[in-house]
Amino acid sequence: MENVVEMRNVNKTFKGFALKDFSLSVKKGFVTGFIGGNGVGKSTIIKLIMNLLQPDSGEISLFGLNYKNHEKEIKQRIGFVFDNNVLYENITLAEMKKIIKPAYKNWDDTLFHQYINLFELPMKKQIKTFSKGMMMKASLTFALSHHAELIIMDEPTSGLDPIFRRELLDILHDIMQDSEKTIFFSTHITTDLDRIADYITFIHNGQHIFTKEHYKIEEDYAIVKGETNLLDRDTEREFIGIRRSNHGFEALTTNKQRTQNIFGDTVILEKPTLEDIMLYTKKGTDHYATSHS
Amino acid sequence: MLHLIRKDIVLQKYTLLILLPVLFIDLFLDGSRIYVGILFSIAIIMQSFATDEKSSVHFLLNSLPYTRKEIVSSKYVGACVFISLVLLTIFIGNLVIHKEFVPWEQLLFIASIVAVFISLAFPFSYLFKSQYLMIASIVLFVLYFIIVAKFIPDLNDWIRGAVQTLLSLDDTLLYGGAIFSVILLYFCSYMLSVRIYSRKVF
Repeated sequence: MENVVEMRNVNKTFKGFALKDFSLSVKKGFVTGFIGGNGVGKSTIIKLIMNLLQPDSGEISLFGLNYKNHEKEIKQRIGFVFDNNVLYENITLAEMKKIIKPAYKNWDDTLFHQYINLFELPMKKQIKTFSKGMMMKASLTFALSHHAELIIMDEPTSGLDPIFRRELLDILHDIMQDSEKTIFFSTHITTDLDRIADYITFIHNGQHIFTKEHYKIEEDYAIVKGETNLLDRDTEREFIGIRRSNHGFEALTTNKQRTQNIFGDTVILEKPTLEDIMLYTKKGTDHYATSHS
Repeated sequence: MLHLIRKDIVLQKYTLLILLPVLFIDLFLDGSRIYVGILFSIAIIMQSFATDEKSSVHFLLNSLPYTRKEIVSSKYVGACVFISLVLLTIFIGNLVIHKEFVPWEQLLFIASIVAVFISLAFPFSYLFKSQYLMIASIVLFVLYFIIVAKFIPDLNDWIRGAVQTLLSLDDTLLYGGAIFSVILLYFCSYMLSVRIYSRKVF
């Protein structure tokens, strides 16, 4: 299967944060949801993909092209939405269009006005008077009006009301009817992903934990509940993170079948949500860090 | 790149609509062409630079299909466009109001001083931020006064004299040399800015 984004052994170090040997690929024609807590490197990775940051080492290619030789060509094919407003605030949408339109070869005025009407955006009002939702709609309109093949969004649903969040997901769903398009978006509202994501990429502390097909996560992962006395040094190794209470323990396993074989009927297995996976992974790595320091 | 320059003009249209007529009025009242020309050019150019300085704008411009080199180039070429606009206003204003041509040496002098200022201000602003230019100029100003007070008491007269001599000279070689130095400085400044901006993290 073709990859639209390919990151190989990318290293990037900042004060207090490092991305080490990071590899990631985003498959063409699918929606990939990008999850992870605050400050684990989601925005850094998106910036690296957009060439807003250059890696210290490693390779990044989009559509099989690298930024060094094909920067403009790549950017022509990307639509972007950031979590904060990047549009000029002291001008109107009509003027903003005058600025953005000439940058793209494939700009489509009909499509632009279609979205403006759909979102009921005022063309003659200064952008600074827009609400957060309107600004997001405006950014989205620009991202969708030049037939981009890859749409990258950094937290597009944060700060939006539930109704517009659903509308947005429906629009993205419509766009995906075209199998040439790819969407990569980060979020920490994991329920959004249940609606549209085909793949989930999960990162924690600058590390790529997994990229899996959404339905596969439920097949592999499970929340295990049982009596605390089942836990010893050996059985604890079966789990990513464990939460103990007076009534027993709750833990996350990455191999549902194996856990079933080991514990049999002594434990209850439940479907994990993406939030469970995020929580237990964080717990697990924090625990690992303390027990090894 | 032309799109980026057009963008600067679109964004500064209100500044231009206010400042250029004011320049016209000033010419009508017989103000100093040189000082006002320099001041207006610098004000418009730095205003246009400051508009693009927010990190969100860096995000926008760098996500659009432009390279960082083009973004810097557009500022340098744009500055020349703004200088030309001011000079053109002075030229036309003078022709209309006083029915006389402005000596080309004066126009060149304004352009050179602005170009020298931009050559210093742009790399500085790309490295830090244009809002620190004020502080930097105050520091330079104080340093200048210390030099005048302690070391070279007649520095002021000396500079005034030098400007007068420069303007009254009609030695083409000297003019050529001055123009060449300014262009060289402007170009070096451009190269430096491209280097700084390509490594900038925002």
